[in-house]
Amino acid sequence: MKYTTFNQKRTNPLVEPMFFGNPVNVARYDQQKHSIFEKLIEKQISFFWRPEEVDVSKDRVDFQSLSDSEKHIFISNLKYQTLLDSVQGRSPNIAFLPIISLPELETWTETWSFFETIHSRSYTHILRNLFTDPSNIFDDIVVNEHIKQRAGDISKYYDDLIFYTQLWQTQGEGVHTVDGEVHQVNMRELKKKLYLCMNSVNALEAIRFYVSFACTFAFAERELMEGNSKIIRLIARDENLHLTSTQHILNLWQKGKDDPEMAEIAEELKDEARAIFMQAVEQEKQWAGYLFGQGSMIGLNEEILCQYVEYIANHRMSAIGMGQPFDVTSNPLPWMNNYLNSDNVQVAPQESEISSYLVGQIDSEVNAEDFGDFDL
Amino acid sequence: MSDDTRFVITIADHKPIPCETDKTVLENLEAQNVEVHYHCREGFCGACRTKLIKGEVDYTTDPLAYIDDDEFLPCCTIALTDIDIKIEY
Ligand code: FES
Ligand SMILES: [Fe+2]
Ligand SMILES: [Fe+2]
Repeated sequence: MKYTTFNQKRTNPLVEPMFFGNPVNVARYDQQKHSIFEKLIEKQISFFWRPEEVDVSKDRVDFQSLSDSEKHIFISNLKYQTLLDSVQGRSPNIAFLPIISLPELETWTETWSFFETIHSRSYTHILRNLFTDPSNIFDDIVVNEHIKQRAGDISKYYDDLIFYTQLWQTQGEGVHTVDGEVHQVNMRELKKKLYLCMNSVNALEAIRFYVSFACTFAFAERELMEGNSKIIRLIARDENLHLTSTQHILNLWQKGKDDPEMAEIAEELKDEARAIFMQAVEQEKQWAGYLFGQGSMIGLNEEILCQYVEYIANHRMSAIGMGQPFDVTSNPLPWMNNYLNSDNVQVAPQESEISSYLVGQIDSEVNAEDFGDFDL
Repeated sequence: MSDDTRFVITIADHKPIPCETDKTVLENLEAQNVEVHYHCREGFCGACRTKLIKGEVDYTTDPLAYIDDDEFLPCCTIALTDIDIKIEY
């Protein structure tokens, strides 16, 4: 079915499925089929924040005092988070908007993605404060093997859904050959790809950030890199909301409260969906191994971090009917809760600084090492 | 303290604890050092999801987190009766 930016057909969005029904026409929010998405939009907008409002200038001094292995941990996590938010800042829009049929879900998706772009912008804010020129850090994200390995798994389900949607919207259902590859395009196949993609996104929002969050907050426990920690707390609050939305979508499908065919597909692809989650857990554990490969940091080690991933995974998996596969019954990092609650994440007014001032401040700070071998 | 401001929380694998109605169920559990997972404490993340086996609770805020029919969110509820719960770790 060809996509249209304003469907001229009269439709009733109260009876459309979330995806693959009629394209949305009027953006109206006075009525909703699934009111949860309207509530999520309002909540997310109430969280609005700007990275520049958080003063990260003290982090520069702290960063210099970190050991080499701690610097590696800190920077690698920022790189990984930059990758995750680069993907999330665009992919829900590109993959889901063309196939969404409810105005409230359409706007939720746009709002969600917009906040991911704020996250991306905050990494630039953090890195610009730490380095006169952060280009090396950004450049490494596309060449670093450990990050690339994760990037592949995160983007492949999105890419697959996007490609099949494009084929369907331009050529319709049928067998299409593109670059010598044969693709069977039909509604069942499209919905299966959507289901797997949503599971992959859910796993991303559920656990892929938590290894880096734990490292950030472990630094903050030692009163180090606190500006960064404040930003990550704001990000974590948003991520919690994103996760809630994907959990709702998956449960609406599974419980037959939306498209009945999606309930069948959820049953049919149960094992595959679970495998996607387990693979994400595995990759997070490997990431912990990579982080601590050059030495540990005070307050955290690979083992306890892996237990924390399993603990979080148990919670997240049981929320979507996948059971609790891991044998961890108590929270190995109880202090994490203090950083993940919404109290005190508001940006204090005295910390507000206008960005132009911050940029000026950084540009005018020239360190001796910036001159390298320059003889004076 | 009169009876209608104090109920009992019965927890699977744990001894019963008192529950005051000027505090959320989560705060009551914490006051007795019962470990419950939480993040947001505002009903939108679902980290505190707990099974409600018996009894009634009232929400202090419209909960956004996904919860199953037999579950509730201790972070944003007040007990209306004695309650029977099972904490999921
Ligand atoms: S702690 Fe977030 S919903 Fe209860
Ligand atoms: Fe994000
Ligand atoms: Fe997110």
